Parts: sequence; C-alpha cells; structure tokens
Amino acid sequence: MNRRSWPGTSDSDPADEFLRRALDDAALRGPDDVTLRRGWAAVAEPVKTPRTRTWAWFAGGVATTAALVLIGGLWVWPRAVATFALVSPGRPAPAQVEVALGTRRLTLEGGVEAQLGSSSVMRIEDGAPRIEKGEVRFSVPHRPPRHPFIVRADDYSVVVVGTKFGVAVDGRAVGVDVNEGVVEVRRTSDQRRLARLSPGEAWRSGEVSVETSAAPPPASPAPPLPISAVSSPAAAPARLAAPIHGHARAARAAARTLALTTPGEGAGGGRASGTAATTIANDGASAAARAALSGGDTMKALQIYRALALKTGPVAENAAYEVGKVLNEKMDQPEGAVAAWRRYRLDYPDGILRAEADVSIIETLVRAGSADEALGEANDFLRRRPDSERRAEIARLAGDLYRARGDCRRAIAAYQIVLGASRPRDIVEVANFHRAACLVRLGDAAGADAVRAYLRAYPSGRFRSEAAALVVDGAHAADGRARAQ
Amino acid sequence: MREGPVNTPALLRAVPVTASPSADMEIVTRCRRGDTQSWRTLYDRFAPVVYRFLSAFGVPMEDREDACQEVFVAVYRSLGRFRGEARLSTWIYRIAARHASRTARRRRVRGLLSTLLVREPPPPPAPDPSERSERLQVLDELISKLSPKKKLVLVLFEIEGVPIEEVAKIAGCPENTAWSRLHYARAELTAMARKRVR
Repeated sequence: MNRRSWPGTSDSDPADEFLRRALDDAALRGPDDVTLRRGWAAVAEPVKTPRTRTWAWFAGGVATTAALVLIGGLWVWPRAVATFALVSPGRPAPAQVEVALGTRRLTLEGGVEAQLGSSSVMRIEDGAPRIEKGEVRFSVPHRPPRHPFIVRADDYSVVVVGTKFGVAVDGRAVGVDVNEGVVEVRRTSDQRRLARLSPGEAWRSGEVSVETSAAPPPASPAPPLPISAVSSPAAAPARLAAPIHGHARAARAAARTLALTTPGEGAGGGRASGTAATTIANDGASAAARAALSGGDTMKALQIYRALALKTGPVAENAAYEVGKVLNEKMDQPEGAVAAWRRYRLDYPDGILRAEADVSIIETLVRAGSADEALGEANDFLRRRPDSERRAEIARLAGDLYRARGDCRRAIAAYQIVLGASRPRDIVEVANFHRAACLVRLGDAAGADAVRAYLRAYPSGRFRSEAAALVVDGAHAADGRARAQ
Repeated sequence: MREGPVNTPALLRAVPVTASPSADMEIVTRCRRGDTQSWRTLYDRFAPVVYRFLSAFGVPMEDREDACQEVFVAVYRSLGRFRGEARLSTWIYRIAARHASRTARRRRVRGLLSTLLVREPPPPPAPDPSERSERLQVLDELISKLSPKKKLVLVLFEIEGVPIEEVAKIAGCPENTAWSRLHYARAELTAMARKRVR
C-alpha cells in the first residue's frame, strides 16, 4: 500500500512508479546496529555542561582557578609528608603502608589503584605489592601483553592483565576474589598455576577447586572516598609509613568503593575515562584506521586498532572489537579473530559491543567448521541473554547446527526460540520451514500442518519447492500407513 | 495512519521522531546537567534519523559515519543554545543540514586537490547492505543534481516526512518559498527520472 500523493498514483508512468518506490526505499534506509554502536562509542564521553553565555566563561574561569588551587594544595600536602618521612634523618623508610583503622587508597605504578582495608599491611617488593595482612582491593588498568601486574601474598602470586579484584590475608590463609576480568593465582616458588578466576569467582588457599562465591556486583553505586584519602601517583610507591585513622565500620564498605567507582566509568558499561577531547582525538585515530582499511592498508589499520585498544574508554573498547573484525574479514584469520573477540569479552564483560562480539564469535566458529564450539557459545548466549535483539539470529544458527547433527528435537527447540523472539522476517521464515521439516522427519503428526502453514505464510518463500515436496512425501506416507492398517 | 493535506508525503515510512516541546526541553536540560543516560536516549532517538538524512542528502557512504558523529558532537556542544522555541528534531535537522553542506564542500575541495596533485582516488568501499537497491543509487544520483536549497526541501519533505512549516524553519525561509522550492524540486526530479527510466 502506498499513499504517497506525489509522484502521481498512476502505475502506468514508470518514472512515477520508480520515484515512489525509490523514495520509500530512501525513507527506510538506516544505519546498521554496529554503525550506531560505533557512533555511540565516539560520542558517549561524559556529558559536561555545555557552553552557554559569556558570563559563564568568567564564572568557569574563577571556579577552575579555585579548583586548581584546591587540587594543587591537596596534591602537595601528602607528598610533603611523604618526603619528610623519607628524608628524615635516623628514620628508616619502611617500604610499607600500614592502615590501623579506616581505609587508604593509593595509586601505584601503571595507574593501578589499591584500596587498603582496615588493619591491613601492604609492602612493595621489587616494585610489586605484597600483602602481609588484611584485605586490599585492586583496580588494574589494561596492561600490555607480557607485562602482567603481580600481587604476592604469603606463598602465592596473583597474576593480572587488567581487572578489578581483591586479595585478603588472614594469618596463613590467603583469599582472592574477582569483580571484573580474569586473574590467575600461582604458587610463587614454582609458578604453578593453582586457579584461574573469572568475575564472581573466589579462591582460598588450601582449597583444591575454584569456588564460585558472591563477589560484590560491579555496578551498584557507592559514595566515592574523600579526596584527602587518595594519594597522588607521585606519592604512591609505598615508602609511606603513616597509619591512617578513620571509621572502622566504614572500612568494608569503602574497600568495595574502589572496585565500584573507577574514574570515568560511564554509560554503556565500558571503561570510559578521559575527556571528550581525548575521545575526539582517539576518534581521529579510528578514522585513520577506517581510511587505511578502505585504502587497502590492512596492516596499518590493525596496528592503529591494536594501539587504540590498549587505551581506555569507548574508543578503546570499539578498537578492541574492530581488531577481531579486521583479522576475520580482511586477513582471513578466523582463529585470531575469535581470540581477539574473546579478549574483548574479558576486558569488557558488560561492554556495549558484547552481544556483537558473542555473535561474531559464533558466526566465525560456524564458518570455520567448529560446530561443537559454536553450539557451546550459542547455547551460552541464549542462556545468558534472554532479552538480546540478536537472540533469534543465534537460536536459528543453533537450530541449523543441531539439524546438521541430525538432532531434530534440539533443533525444533531452538527454532521455537526464534519464533518466540522479536525477529526479522527472513529468520522467521527459515526457522518456520526447518522446524516443520524436523517435525516431518521425526514423524510428528504436527509436521504436515506446520509445512502447510509455512506454505500459506510464504506462498513465494525460498523453501516453497522443498515444502511442497514434503507435503507430497507426507501424503504418500499417510496413504501407506492407511493401507497398512 | 496520519491524515493530511494533498502534499502529505508517504505514510508507509519512518516519520520524524516527535515529542512534545516540554519533553524535548526536559531531555536537553538533563543532558546539560551531565546526565549520560539522557544523552544516550537522545542519541538513540536521533542517530538513525541523522544517518538517514545524511544518506539522502548525498553524503557518500564512506563519510557518513564520521559525518553522523560530527553532527552529534555539534549537537552536544550546542545544547546550551537550544531554547526550546523549535522542536528538537527541527534543531537537529538544521545542524545536520549545515554539516552535510560542509561535508559536501570539503569533498569538493578534496576532489579538486586530488585532481591537481594527480593522486589515485581511494578504491570504493564495500557496498553497504542497506545500499543494495539499485533504485536507491539512481535516486541518490538524481537528487545530487538538484541545487542544495531544493535538495534540502525535497529530502526533508519527501523522505524525512517533516511538515512544511518545520521544513521552512530548517531551511530558514518562508513557508511559501519552501512550497515553491519543493514544487520545482519535484518537477526537476520527475523530468530526470523520465529521462532515466524509459
């Protein structure tokens, strides 16, 4: 039906007909999901109050100056104290931070943030922290490959690439729990891996297997620590010995704060940080990568995306995803691509491209012939993402994979999911036909009806000849059964 | 379905995202306060619209994504200047139209420089699945031959479904002028289509 008043409604003029259809096509044109998400990654940076009037400039200038003075004061003050502790004659500088009551928040080398709980003791040995007593929670920005961050506790090493986690020491007992990313626990003496922990998992020394316990959820809001409790990066390397006093009761809640309030963490669940200007600069690099791709310089594009992926924020997140896309689509390296997307999932478990990464992994595994692995991923996706817009697509893939295995029952269940999800028409058609074909193959009485229903719904559908053949076969089989009776 | 005057454009297509002026002002106010969720809402509502408008306005596929992002950066930077006198969609269309013209100018300069420097033009990008229709390619080509003023009015009215009073506001001209431009744009487009489709 077309109610466009211009061009003329007569079908006799091919030019009018052409314009009508073309204008309707143009009105339905739109970006795909990935383009939209990529766009959001580029403009998602924290919204700051936009410029309004001239007086706002003046007020802003005054406020900025005041803020700078305040921040400068706070930055200089703890540093001066630390310097005094270091140079004070006759006073050895213990490479140790000790918290009697309350909490202490430190920034270590490489931007690692450490939140020391009440009565905890942390010592720095060869640049790496060692927890002597109490609980310390860490937030580790993404690290380059082969440069993991290591935390020691008793006879154990916790090896991290970029994550949020906590280490607790109570006498000889060591506990590790993970909020985000993946960490490995190793025995320091022989470097034997004892456990590999994912978000929500915890490990205690003396236990054989990995235990799943309730680690604090990463998204619940918590008040940030007062600025005075945060040391500057320069003051961080742990030659501080001043005990910090505070409220013991608040210590546990505040100890979780670090894991919950990474600076710049904003909408979309990604590790957003930095300023809008940085994003725009990073987006310049993204544009350069896209230009390199369209110019055929795949290696250059890959290098740019890999470099961007080491940063933080939505642009880095997007780049981490694009690395896999380039490897898969331009360099024909499906294994590398799957590894890159899996890496993306580790770094951004709740990232805005998470569903895309899941779907890309599944599709690539299917194309690479790894049907079992693809099915595992697909089932995992369907279990974890009941509301995903890509659910129908994945259920259809799972159905096809089960059908290829000859497992019609599971295929029917998967196609049923497709029909129950909000979905594009072509996917529904495929699911409808294959579900009907599976029912026929199983000898289910509903099979013939399902095939007829398919033919009624899609009279010029792409499986009409196969469906017609199924109806004929079904009729012959029914005749045979009737004669036998 | 919407009823309207004789010149009502197609009804079987995306119509512009409309909301009450108070709702528009509310979302802008929240964005100004730094509410990221509202900014996301605004992006989700208007990104497809801006992308579609830029496509119809003749921004080539390889520049479209960047142009769309630039429009949103401009929208964000100008939020402080939105007074709620026009609809939010009208205001965003105006920014998008300005950007589309600027992109076209930049492209012309780039083309000229490439010619002067005798540089190899970059290979065309892989076709976008949404661009598969040959009809769309021909339409884009025909629309690109219209003058910018006629193009703007035609795209807004016939493709975006923007009412003519809003089109006039976006184009910065009186309503009668908008009608007149639309009339001539339609006539030119029909003539070109007749030559092309025989």
